[in-house]
Amino acid sequence: MTAPVLNLQLHEGRKSYQAGETLSGEYRVASCDLGDLRAIEISVLWYTEGKGDEDLAVHYFERLSLDDSQVLDLERPRRFSTVLPNSPLSYEGVIVKICWCVRARLFLARGREVVEERLFQLGDVPAARAVLP
Amino acid sequence: MARDIKFYGKKRGDRRTGSRQMGRAGMGLFFGTFLLIGLGSLLLILFTLSIPEWRANHGYVETQCLVLDSRIAEQKSDDGLTYRPEFKLEYTAGGAAITKWRPSEVTGAYSSNRGRSERILGQFPVGQKYPCWYDPRDPNMVVLERGYSWFAWLMLILPAAFLTIGGGGLLLSVLRWGKSTERISAMSQQSTTRDLFQPPVAAGPKFPNVPDAADLTNSAGTTLAYRLPSASARWGLLAILLFCLFWNGIVSVFVTLAVRGHLRGEADWFLTLFMIPFILVGIGAVGFLVRQVLIEAGVGSTIVEIEAHPLAPGGEYDVFFSQAGRLTITSLSVLLVCEETATYRQGTNTRTAHRRVSEEQIFLREGFDIQQGMPFETRLRIKIPLRAMHSFTSDHNKVEWKLVVKGAVARWPDFERGFPIVIRPESAASEAA
Repeated sequence: MTAPVLNLQLHEGRKSYQAGETLSGEYRVASCDLGDLRAIEISVLWYTEGKGDEDLAVHYFERLSLDDSQVLDLERPRRFSTVLPNSPLSYEGVIVKICWCVRARLFLARGREVVEERLFQLGDVPAARAVLP
Repeated sequence: MARDIKFYGKKRGDRRTGSRQMGRAGMGLFFGTFLLIGLGSLLLILFTLSIPEWRANHGYVETQCLVLDSRIAEQKSDDGLTYRPEFKLEYTAGGAAITKWRPSEVTGAYSSNRGRSERILGQFPVGQKYPCWYDPRDPNMVVLERGYSWFAWLMLILPAAFLTIGGGGLLLSVLRWGKSTERISAMSQQSTTRDLFQPPVAAGPKFPNVPDAADLTNSAGTTLAYRLPSASARWGLLAILLFCLFWNGIVSVFVTLAVRGHLRGEADWFLTLFMIPFILVGIGAVGFLVRQVLIEAGVGSTIVEIEAHPLAPGGEYDVFFSQAGRLTITSLSVLLVCEETATYRQGTNTRTAHRRVSEEQIFLREGFDIQQGMPFETRLRIKIPLRAMHSFTSDHNKVEWKLVVKGAVARWPDFERGFPIVIRPESAASEAA
């Protein structure tokens, strides 16, 4: 049995955006048995990395469950689009990092999941360096 | 790649996130155990204490009992011997004569208070007849005393706490089961951002996760528009004071025991030596408290005012700075500082780490005196770096900007006072437009 493939792309392969710009892209499911599929989620979110516990907030979220007739055509690329917020901007700190990404999650039978993620930069804040005492 | 349940998740930054499914299963098991303990103890208390007591007051039938004999029953427990009064009663129930040894009341609870048991025995002398009540379902159950005992009902608080924590946690685990982190986050945000599920427009605050500057602009300045509040050292002082009281209070009990032993000539050297590091920590805490009090009391008030707030990257702003007191200043400086703060759990502890990532000195003066009633005052100009990271706050992570006043005073501890500011992620040019 071949594993389902989740193809996620940002338009024009962009990896950097400014606050207030529109982020758009598309995703497509291949090699997936319709009987296996439970739902698809697409989200635009930021999460923190570093020393602290992870914080996460979703800016855009869309879920298509098996009941949605639109899901049936799995091979057809599905588009998404959202206007990016003013904050928080991507940040490469010393103990706090803020990462933005588009995440697509495919829910399959028996609790299996397929996850694809595309990181992107929001804003152009330079990386921080620790100040030596 | 399809994922089944994994024990470990991917590594992110300094942490390993762990498997989401296993984590949730573990939480479900944890709260389920709480719920079971709560249910078990609730049933135990209800069926052994609360319900029998309620039935004795409402369902028992009155008759007359002859006290044939009485005694104090003893039971060994962790607290030593416990006692309860028992009576040999003769009574008629449903036409049948019954003779039984029974405690005076229905719960039959033992108590460490022997005097209480003796008092109850004295209330029912042998050879006398008293009203008593028997259970029509089981005539062998008879009591001389009715009423309600506080512990039979107060003890219900214990299982109630377990049921609330266990039930609530289990319900949350069930509601979250099978849901992605993103979906849970979106659901929790839905209450404040009702249009979240109406893509593509995402509604919400204009600057999400940028701290509200309202608290920093509600105090008008006398020279410039806003007087910045100091990151209060008084709460820190209170925390140190409470720690000193708590720590030294406990330590003093053991020190007293050790000293009494020495005075009696029965020195406990293990206790004495064991207490030394604890005493040193206590002395250190008191010393630190005294130092902080000296700084707060001896160094006069520091005032920082600013012409506009919140600030924007690339913006230049006037700042008014005043330092009062009667001080011989070795050096006095004002810094524009950016600091990262990360809160994380380590075992059962919650720890907070700070890292300074930007520090720009905007004022320095050395070797001068400040006279009582004549505070040192000056106006400064600060420039926020054009591509500065904006102020950021989330549950466990922060990026904070502040103006820091540092002072080195002759024959006095150095001091440092912070004045938080908020930087928004919009350029000064767009803000002006």
